[in-house]
Formats: sequence, structure tokens, C-alpha cells
Amino acid sequence: MITAEQKPIDEIREMIAPYKRILALGCGSCVAECAAGGEKETAMLASTLRMAAKIDGRDLLIHEKTVDRQCVKDFILPLDDIIDQYDAVLSLGCGAGVQAVAEIFPDVPIMPALNTEFIGETRDQGYWVENCVGCGDCVLYDFGGICPLTRCSKRLLNGPCGGSRDGKCEVDPEVPCAWQLIIERLSKFNALDRLEKIYQPKDWSMKQGLGPRNIIREDQQR
Amino acid sequence: MIFSGETQMKSALKLETGCNHDMDENREQKLALFYCERTPESSEQDKQSLEKKYGNSIRLFPIPCSGRIESLHLLRALEEFADAAYLITCPEGECRYFEGNLRAKKRVQKAQEIIKSIGLEGERIGIVMNEHTKSLARQAEEIMGSISHLCPSPVLHPHRS
Amino acid sequence: MSQLKKILDKGDLAVTAECGPPKGADPEAIFKKAELLRGKADAINVTDNQTATVRMSSLAACGLLISAGLDPVLQVVVRDRNRIALQSDILGASAMGIRNVLCLSGDHQSFGNQPQTMGVFDLDSIQFIQVVKTMRDEGTIWGGEPLTKSPELFIGAVANPFADPLGFRPVRLAKKIRAGADFIQTQCVYNLDRFEEWMNMARERGLTEQVNILAGVTPLKSSNMAKYMKKRVSGIDIPDELIKRMEETPKNRQRETGINICVETIQRLKEIQGIRGFHIMAIEWEEAVGEIVGRAGLLPRPSFDQD
Repeated sequence: MITAEQKPIDEIREMIAPYKRILALGCGSCVAECAAGGEKETAMLASTLRMAAKIDGRDLLIHEKTVDRQCVKDFILPLDDIIDQYDAVLSLGCGAGVQAVAEIFPDVPIMPALNTEFIGETRDQGYWVENCVGCGDCVLYDFGGICPLTRCSKRLLNGPCGGSRDGKCEVDPEVPCAWQLIIERLSKFNALDRLEKIYQPKDWSMKQGLGPRNIIREDQQR
Repeated sequence: MIFSGETQMKSALKLETGCNHDMDENREQKLALFYCERTPESSEQDKQSLEKKYGNSIRLFPIPCSGRIESLHLLRALEEFADAAYLITCPEGECRYFEGNLRAKKRVQKAQEIIKSIGLEGERIGIVMNEHTKSLARQAEEIMGSISHLCPSPVLHPHRS
Repeated sequence: MSQLKKILDKGDLAVTAECGPPKGADPEAIFKKAELLRGKADAINVTDNQTATVRMSSLAACGLLISAGLDPVLQVVVRDRNRIALQSDILGASAMGIRNVLCLSGDHQSFGNQPQTMGVFDLDSIQFIQVVKTMRDEGTIWGGEPLTKSPELFIGAVANPFADPLGFRPVRLAKKIRAGADFIQTQCVYNLDRFEEWMNMARERGLTEQVNILAGVTPLKSSNMAKYMKKRVSGIDIPDELIKRMEETPKNRQRETGINICVETIQRLKEIQGIRGFHIMAIEWEEAVGEIVGRAGLLPRPSFDQD
């Protein structure tokens, strides 16, 4: 899923300063999973901002609403019924959600309450970690299910480098050396010989694209 | 209401320093008190007699386990009516659901961080892990004492210059 | 022709030393170090923004060494340049007369003085070795487009016998050789037992016959340096006896002990089958190189005819 964290409250307050009637819009998917922008967090942020406004003696109306998934047009369209009541939207969606809403309501100012971070997993309660960079050409099979592009700090495809120490990466003793993990995993499958061949340079054009990448599926269209 | 010596001093201090707005400084604090149902002497009857005693000053919210508290409940209490919102939990290690009170502790801390970030005193939110298993009435009294030095909440009574 | 290559082809022991460029634009800094090292080593490595710290570019510094009549080894890390820039620098290096290149990953950007930069890592060091070999031997850039003139370069790589996972290190060495490495410079050696173990594994795989391995050595300046390196620098293994030896030496004689240890290490390394030379990394202590090389019986160095 996509992970995000709430921006510092001062930054959010500064962003919403020009507006008096705000719709705080949450998302029930990824950002709810990482406790940043779900229904609960949206309610908490709205309450906090209302209290802050009261302390400042400022007039501020904030209503909360959470949609299932803020990045899907069909879930955003119903907001049409209520959007006119507000002069701005404070979105607790990820960057994709914020922009999807902006696309549907181009005349309504929209502000991101979150900093979108990475594609990752919930490895444990309250612990999310990045494990995919969306390279567009998945090579996980070759590395026993451990992505060296994401989890090796130097993106080495023929690792490890000389900085691997006690199974940890040179950048941070808490970060496991991805290559140590890959070697251990492939050893388990007796597939260590897979690492004997020289892995060729990555085609990064699959990740960069020409402008924002897109996918078009005619079989999925109306 | 019965104040201890310490809180008398704190209240006197409040009178001295003033709370910088035109509300009656002797106005009673309004406390939102959430408590685990296992708090000693916290039956429906006990609750009613406390409500009679404190009137509007305390609003009582029994919950099946303190672990059911959400940071949001505490924030909403402060937003709507309370100068302070407190939670009474079972002593550490004695939660019927094992970790409920530990989770509650974290959520209280989170709520405290949030209100501090907008300029409210962290003490407006608090947790009492009922180490000495005092009764609800006793805890209520002690908590009221410990918050008496706080000015009426600027959320409910914005400062006028 | 690379002086380093010439000597190794003859089968003699080679000596290389290291020169760190300045954190500034003054060429004199390079020329001063050049004079300290002239005649003491066959080729001189110039580091490439080591520890991700901005310094005069390795390519430029190597150019200055060429003008001073020395044989530089251009160190190139893949952290800062994409494949366009890397290949371009290879062509430029060869055009300037640089005849040796060392291909490395590079320390992560978070270590240096520009931690907010983007680490490039378009290629890794092994892929880069392959690219250089392709340019040299097939006369094309990566992808097959022909070059108007191939670069002439003796290709090097680094090996770290002391990094984890130990068992995998010979595999990595083999890959570097297969990719095109002609010579290897190892991380500095203090733990001779462990180093011999690695050399044994390399020899068993036949690797010592396929590539020229130069063992790295670094003189310790002080007991503090020894302790720091042991604790903080990954891939360095300093046995406790050596730390003790440094600590038991009075402070004003620790440099002398450091050099003694270095010379002793070289003498022991000479005994190891498959060692083709030594890479002396006297960081900010280039004056020590001459003494070390002299006492280790490696002087005089063969004269260098730049052609």
C-alpha cells in the first residue's frame, strides 16, 4: 500500500489560513491502514484544527467526510452534492487522492494534509516499511523475493558492496543488508548459483516513463 | 468541594496570575472523566451520586475497558465542553484484557502531543493508572484538585484582547 | 601504456599509492602530493569524492598527475553519475592519457557533506566494469553503438575480504573478473589470518591466476585511529593484538609503530601465493609511503616512460 504521514500541524494551519469553510476529506484505503488519513485520523485532525481556530478567535467551519478510496473517480463524484458548501478541501489522501479530487473539482482549492512516502507493507502493528519502488519490470524472482532496488541502499543488482557489516547496511545499523537477506534466502532454496551470473544494467526508462506513466486497458473500459 | 492544601495554593496562584480574560476566575473547572468500569465503587449508583455532587463540573463516561478510549474522544471532549479530559485505568499489569490500559496510555500520550502542538497545556489531558485502587469518587476529587490551577480552556473561552 | 600494467605483465610486484584530492580548486595540492609519491609507487590512485564528500574531481586531478609525468589510476564511483556521464568520463580519461581506472560503488551519499543529494546508482560497479571492458575491447558504448576510438584502460576493481557475508566474497570476486577486471586492490589488511583464508578461497577457484591482486595496506597513525577504524569503518578488521600494540606505545612513537606494522604486514603478504603487489593507502600521510616502500624492500621502482 501507499504510506503517508500527517504534515506538521503548523504547516497545515498555514495552508488553511485563507479559508473559512473546509471539507476535511479522508480516505478509507492505504492511508487508513497506516493511520494517517482514515476516518479516525480525519476526525482527529478536524477537531484539532477547530480547537486551534477557537483559540485564535478565528471563524472556521470544518466538516469531515471519508470516502472509500480517494484515488478513484467514481468514489469522488458523489462529493459533487456537497462540495459547493466549502471554499476549500483539506485532503488526507495520498498524493494520488489529492490530485484525483483536484481533477474532478478543478475550481476548488485543495490542500494536502499528508506527506506521501512509499509503497510498503505493514510488517507489524505500527510499523510500515518500504519494499517496492515501482520500477515497472519486477525482478523479484531473481532475488528470492527480496527487491534489491528498494532494499539495497545503493540499488546494486550485483551486490553486496563492501559496506555490509554483520548483516547490516553501512548507512544505518538498523537497516538489514538486502544482499545478506538475498543470499540467505537463495541459499535456502539452493539457488545461490543464480547470483553467479552478472545481472545486466536496469532499464530505468520503465520507471521514468515519458511524463507520468499510465496504463490503458480497453477491456476494462465502459 | 474539598480542596487539599496544595490545590488551594495552586488556585490562589491562578487568582494572582490571572487567566487573562473576562470570565469569573472562580468558575468551576469542567472535567470529562472517562473510567474503566472496573474502577472501585463506580456503579451506576455511584455515578449518579457523583453527578449530583459535582453538577456540571464533571461529566462521567464509563467504558468497558480503558483500552476502548480513542485519542479522538479526549480531543472531542476538549473541543465541545471540557477544560480537561482524564482517563482512569486499572493498575499496570491488571487490565482484564491484558494490554487495554497500556494502549490507553499511548493514546492519551498522543492526544497530549496533539493539544500541545496547538498551544494547549498538556495537562488538560491525563491518565491515572489506579495504582492504589482508589474509588471513583476519590479519584474524581483528586483529579479535580490537580487541574484546578488551569485557566478555563481557551478553546471554549477565546481570549479577548 | 599503463606503467602498472607493464610491471604486472612482467610478473614483478607492483606498488600503487593513493592521493586524495583537495576540498578546493588549487592544483598545487595535487602537485605537492605527486612529488611525495614520485618514484615511490608505480601508479597513483586518485579517489573519487570519497566518503561522499565534495572534492576536486578525480578526473581533473588525474589529468594534473599526467601533466606531472605520473601514471594515475582514475577511481570512479557509480554513486554520482549515470551511464552517459560514466562512459563520457571514460572516453575523456583515455584521451588525456589516463591508462588505469578503478570501478567502485562508492560510499553512500548520507555519509558526506551533501546528504540531501540523490544517489544515482544507475549502474553498479560490476556492470560498470563490464561497460568499460566493452568500450575498450569491442569499441562500442553500452548498447552497441560504435566508438570512433576505443579507450585504452587497464581495468581495476576493489575487493573486501573482510566484509560480510564472508562466504560470498569469492563469488563476487569471480564476477568482477568475469566482468572484465584486470587488477584488484583490496581493502587494507590487518588481519592476516582472515586475509589468507580469503586468498585460499580465491586461489581454489583459480581466481589468482585470472587477475592481479594487490593487497591493500594502511599505516596506523595512532591508537585512536586504530580504535576508530575498528569500530566505525565497515569492512575493516583490526585484530585486538594490533590495537594493544599501538596503545602500549607512547604517543610520540605511535606513528613509528604504525609504519612498523605496515612494513611487517607487507613482508608477510609477500609470502602469500597470488599476491601481485601492494596498494598503500596512507590517508593524509603521503610522506609515509616512501619510508614504507623503502623498508619493505620494494625500492627502487622501475622507471616510468610515459608514451
